[in-house]
Amino acid sequence: MKDKSKLIGFTCAYTPLALIDAAGFAPYRILPMGDSPDQAGHILHENLCPHVKRVLDRGMQDDIPELSGIVFMNSCDTMRRLNDAWQKVRPNDNTLLVDLPVSNDPGSVSFFAEELALLTDTLSQWSGNNITPERIENSIGRYNELAMHLNELKKRVDNGTLKDGSLRLQTIYNKAATEPIKDVMEMIKQMIDETNELSDGGLPVYLFGNVLPDPEAFVLFESCGARIVSEDLCTGSRMTHSIETDKSSDVFKRLANGLLSRTACARTVDPINPGKMALDVVERANACNARGVIGHTVKFCDPYLARMPSVRDALKKEGISFLLLEGDCTMRSIGQHKTRIEAFIEMLR
Amino acid sequence: MILQHFEDQESGIMNAIKKNPESASPRKKLALETARLGKRLYSNADDLVWAGPLVPFDLLNAMEVTPCFAEFIASILVSTDAGPLFFENAEQAGYASDTCGYHRMLMGSALKGMIPTPKLLISAMSPCTGGLAAMENLARVFKKDLFILHIPQKESDHGVRILANHIRNMAESVSSHTGKVLDKDRLRKAMENTNKTRDILSNIYKLAQQVPSPVNGRDLSNFGIVLPLFFGTEVGIEIAQSFYDELKSRIKANRSGVPGERIRLMWLQNRIQFKNNLVKMLEKEFNASIVIDELNVITWDPIDPEDPYIGLARRSISSPLNGTVERRVKQIVKLAEAYKIDGAINPCHWGCRQGTGARGLIDSSMKEIGVPVLNLEVDCVDPRNFAEGQLITRIEAFMEMIESRPSPW
Ligand code: SF4
Ligand code: SF4
Repeated sequence: MKDKSKLIGFTCAYTPLALIDAAGFAPYRILPMGDSPDQAGHILHENLCPHVKRVLDRGMQDDIPELSGIVFMNSCDTMRRLNDAWQKVRPNDNTLLVDLPVSNDPGSVSFFAEELALLTDTLSQWSGNNITPERIENSIGRYNELAMHLNELKKRVDNGTLKDGSLRLQTIYNKAATEPIKDVMEMIKQMIDETNELSDGGLPVYLFGNVLPDPEAFVLFESCGARIVSEDLCTGSRMTHSIETDKSSDVFKRLANGLLSRTACARTVDPINPGKMALDVVERANACNARGVIGHTVKFCDPYLARMPSVRDALKKEGISFLLLEGDCTMRSIGQHKTRIEAFIEMLR
Repeated sequence: MILQHFEDQESGIMNAIKKNPESASPRKKLALETARLGKRLYSNADDLVWAGPLVPFDLLNAMEVTPCFAEFIASILVSTDAGPLFFENAEQAGYASDTCGYHRMLMGSALKGMIPTPKLLISAMSPCTGGLAAMENLARVFKKDLFILHIPQKESDHGVRILANHIRNMAESVSSHTGKVLDKDRLRKAMENTNKTRDILSNIYKLAQQVPSPVNGRDLSNFGIVLPLFFGTEVGIEIAQSFYDELKSRIKANRSGVPGERIRLMWLQNRIQFKNNLVKMLEKEFNASIVIDELNVITWDPIDPEDPYIGLARRSISSPLNGTVERRVKQIVKLAEAYKIDGAINPCHWGCRQGTGARGLIDSSMKEIGVPVLNLEVDCVDPRNFAEGQLITRIEAFMEMIESRPSPW
């Protein structure tokens, strides 16, 4: 049984988990799951991203373990408002909003590095531990290892050689976000070592979007005849990534650069290449030989909604079929799309 | 078509003033100057820069480029006959109808070639992520470069320093895209002009606080959002001065903005940008005056003309639409007290996540000081689903409730 007071809550895939680990805490992602009643809309607004509303619902319902603090990232307007509302509904919680630039130009990296240094000071206060550069390097090493193992596991799922691959991969992603890293690493290693078992086919599909943590959603895709051959979701493969370990450069700058340069979600922009996200989707779909692309985004998510027309255009230009699904983080909402997914797969056959 | 709209607007106002010099009002002066700015924007200006609302326009004015922020042009386009068509274009192209109308209007009109092509686009994550996304989309459509200004959420030394540097880089980028250089003397002069405008604005707002207020519900609508386009210029000073003079003369003549003012209101964030009868109804039926718009406020110190970047950075960070709701709410409460308002109207502009997401916290803080808030559900830009009758009924009930309770002051 984990020591609950050693947990730090987080809500966004851009959170520097290695710093939380270096402080002696375990990161705990407050996933938009469970069945807390809808209350957040009264404090925020109904017309706001259901990911954030459900996270707030969990906070209001006390449907979270005891936390020593919560780190919010300024990833979008709604996440900022979550930080505000959280303080209102849970005034006794330690919270910190970390400012997150939208691009990785040198000025933004320097700014973010200073924000990460501030976060480290705050975590140090919350834990009472002195967070030395060595501790941070060790934690970066641990999280790099996790990223590497998850990536290996993902490859097996993408190749279709792991039984019930995408369902189990999502389950592991959720565990990696909520349970101590050591335990999760063990589970991943065991799964990687399992003997190959080719999946029963299904049409290769590339899946991208933001929040889709329920493993059952992946069962649904498969039951509709799809096989997810690669995925890019903020509750999936975008959650972990390797950070450079060249110890001669400043650790915060390295972390900042690593986070801002990793596979981008729609909230991150490359100013040199406006609209790059659409090209990335095409490139990844081609790289995994997908026959079609499914985009899944939660409702009212401006960063994604605004980019979907360019994604659609870019895929059309390449002759790749595209299905866009909107949900509210519940299985009910994704289940309502079953017929559309089946028809999409049928059309691709 | 849009150029014609601005030309007609300019000549219409000038003719009206020529015919009847008495009809010249500060509101007309502001409309005249915005028509002239619109004309410049649509006259194939080769020095055009599109920017987000928190970008320092005075710096762009000092460089003699033509600056414009996207929401400004969207609010003008909505008043043209083609307005609804632009929304339809955007939606047909896949821009979701539950996003902010300003951005839908921009995309719909850009796709129809109704937005002039800039040399450069400058955006920031504040006030909103949707705005940044819209600018990125415009940059893609225009095939033009995008410069992103990172405006920190809180005022810290490192944040101010980095933003100040970013603003410097921005000026260099504008220079390399437009060929206009930033002359030191012109920059100093622009900052002096900004400070003068700031002083006059501060005096205007003090006058507006009087009971009864010399302003009516239309005088200062959109004022704090549009005037920054003229910061740093003589025109900006003239516009501000004309408002000050007008209010001063109304006070001298004992003339309140709304005759027999009985109810004083605050309007939060955006006004409704298309024609509607709500303000008129408030004034006629209830002698209620919108004495303060939340964004008509000065949150920044004068800028040092010799070293303006730090001051410009602090000003952008201090915007009520940047940072935490806690800071915004403190400002709203301060305004409520200064203007002695009886109630506030929050349109909760459809699709504005940063704004509507603050709804509950604004309500509860205002409740603590005894000021009720009416939360509407309006798309302030897209008139297609505007249900005026229903809104009037809700506003009437709100006014009756205010009338039936003692003043909070
Ligand atoms: S899903 Fe979209 S709106 Fe919601 S928190 Fe993530 S980026 Fe923000
Ligand atoms: S109304 Fe809100 S979403 Fe729309 S442009 Fe303004 S701040 Fe952005």
